[in-house]
Amino acid sequence: MKGILLARVREFIRNPFIFLLFTGMSILFAWVVSSMNVGGGEGLPVPVYVEEGAGAYQSSLEELEAFQFYTVDKETLEEELKEGKVDTGVILSEDHFNILIGVESPNAGLIQQTVEEVYTAAIQETFIREAAMDEGMAPESIVSSYHESVTEGTFDLSIHSFSGEEGWKYDGNVHRVGGFALFFSIYTIAYGVVKILTEKRMGVWDRMILSPVKKSEMYAGNLLYSFIEGYLQIVIIFLVFYFWRGLTFNDRIIDILIMLIPYALAIVAMSILITALVKNVEQFNAVISIIAVSLAMIGGAFWPLEIVSNPVLLFLAKLNPVKYGLDIVQGAAVYGYSFTDLLQPISILTLMTVLFTGIGIHLMERRHI
Amino acid sequence: MLELIDISKRFKKVEAVKSLNMFIEQGEIIGLLGPNGAGKSTAISILSTLIEPTEGDVRFLKKSVVKKPSPLRKAIGVVPQEIALYQQLSAEENLLFFGRIYHLKGSELKQRVNEVLEQIGLTDKRKVIVESFSGGMKRRLNIGVAMLHKPQILIMDEPTVGIDPQSRSYILETVKNLNRENQMTVVYTSHYMEEVDYLCDRIYIMDQGNLIASGTNEEIKQILSSEDTISIQAERWSNEFIEHLKGHPSIRNVHVEEKEITLITPKEVNVFSEIISMTEKYGIDLRSLHVKSPTLEDVFLHLTGRALRD
Repeated sequence: MKGILLARVREFIRNPFIFLLFTGMSILFAWVVSSMNVGGGEGLPVPVYVEEGAGAYQSSLEELEAFQFYTVDKETLEEELKEGKVDTGVILSEDHFNILIGVESPNAGLIQQTVEEVYTAAIQETFIREAAMDEGMAPESIVSSYHESVTEGTFDLSIHSFSGEEGWKYDGNVHRVGGFALFFSIYTIAYGVVKILTEKRMGVWDRMILSPVKKSEMYAGNLLYSFIEGYLQIVIIFLVFYFWRGLTFNDRIIDILIMLIPYALAIVAMSILITALVKNVEQFNAVISIIAVSLAMIGGAFWPLEIVSNPVLLFLAKLNPVKYGLDIVQGAAVYGYSFTDLLQPISILTLMTVLFTGIGIHLMERRHI
Repeated sequence: MLELIDISKRFKKVEAVKSLNMFIEQGEIIGLLGPNGAGKSTAISILSTLIEPTEGDVRFLKKSVVKKPSPLRKAIGVVPQEIALYQQLSAEENLLFFGRIYHLKGSELKQRVNEVLEQIGLTDKRKVIVESFSGGMKRRLNIGVAMLHKPQILIMDEPTVGIDPQSRSYILETVKNLNRENQMTVVYTSHYMEEVDYLCDRIYIMDQGNLIASGTNEEIKQILSSEDTISIQAERWSNEFIEHLKGHPSIRNVHVEEKEITLITPKEVNVFSEIISMTEKYGIDLRSLHVKSPTLEDVFLHLTGRALRD
């Protein structure tokens, strides 16, 4: 087994292209997407010039998450638009607003709608106050009753996280790093495992079968190497964002990386199962592209699963290692769950590892591929 | 030493090998000859215990090795038809890797690697990555890997496919030397009859899964002792001439190539004068007409009605 590992490491040193490509891509994707949210907050930055008497609108806008409205003077606003730093800006006046468009973009319409909503709400409040005063009622109490009914809503609404115990929390940066790291590691691991198929086709596997090396060692050597390569990629990606991007992961980075070991193992196991089911490397390449993207989409690597309501997709997510990998990342980094709290996703990933490896190797041996 | 007894192998509906019997004695070079798809590689895989036969038995030193293959596996080195090497590693690294899996270690491993590199003529290329090797060099290293653990029997499955004549000649000489100097038993499959003719003490000829002839070179060629193989050479042929030859009652197995026609006739019948008059009748510009000594190719043609590389 040591010999097989050594040979694979030497091969890796000679040709690290796939590893570097997928590591680089996941860092790049997560980096670029998070860089689009300037200032560390969520939403597209929009400069706002506030005229006298419009301060209340600005305060309301700053509370919104969809866009990041920030106050500038008029010259800066015009300069940023001219230089193309932003595509849209807003001038708030006491009784109206202006949307300034530097570059045509779909954001302008959304920004206009958002600002309109703030003005409409303010006008509504004014009307309520006036109506209350006309009726001889206390305007503040009526307005506060209005706010109460808007906040509480007509229906009871509850939001649950994956553990169902508390409301949903979301950290976009953690989600993006976790999502892309777990997604791209599928490719790295799968292309490592499929080398078994290549070696079988080349006759290297037959050579080893005829040698005193046990078959279990042959599988263990190859699978262990694929695991190390994939896991190393995950570690590198997390460390890059930890040290260079300043993501703290709730000071749980070591815990997260340790708890992601079952995820990498489950992907190795899934890859061996796919390798056993396909007929050749070309077929594997086609299948893995489809499976990796599907797993990432259904497992919530690209968007949080909490926004998905389709029961079929939610059921499929439960069969998906990416979901449990992300549960571990989000659980530790966002919710602050302990190892014991995360035992469920860890156990499911371990079960997947055992199941997929068993079926995969059994099928591979039976089919003589 | 090593026997295949009534071996058959079926893959779903295809019967790749049918009732094959074969024996190999120590120090022999055995040739397994046949066209592509004859069942040679399947026979080799069964012989090397890589696949189990559907029926029959494989015996090594009189003991069955179908279910317990380890005694035979220790004794054989297999050169597969594919280049079974790590392309990203150097020649030396490949040999070290395969040596280690045969539990060779330390100075013994280094010594064997040096010896093998010398035998296959790649000592000066030991540090070169296999991917950049020529086809012939890869084939030589493919053989070298199988020799590392000093096997008693070297099983070679078409080791010269797709290489230049110089490399082929080098490989043939290497095999000859291994047999002569180390008394290594060799099982050599090929669809190049001249290789088998040159190397082998005994030959098995297979076609469509069947063993159609076996024996020493001379014994096999004796199959044609009552017949002559006649070669006619001309610049071009006419269809009428070929049809006339094929319709002749004493001529059979007419094999037409661009400038040569070979055919088989009984020794007691002289068709020379008839062929000459036929060439005149159909306006064939005859260059030569002679009786050839039978080759393995002729024997194969005689037995199957097809050329070996059809």
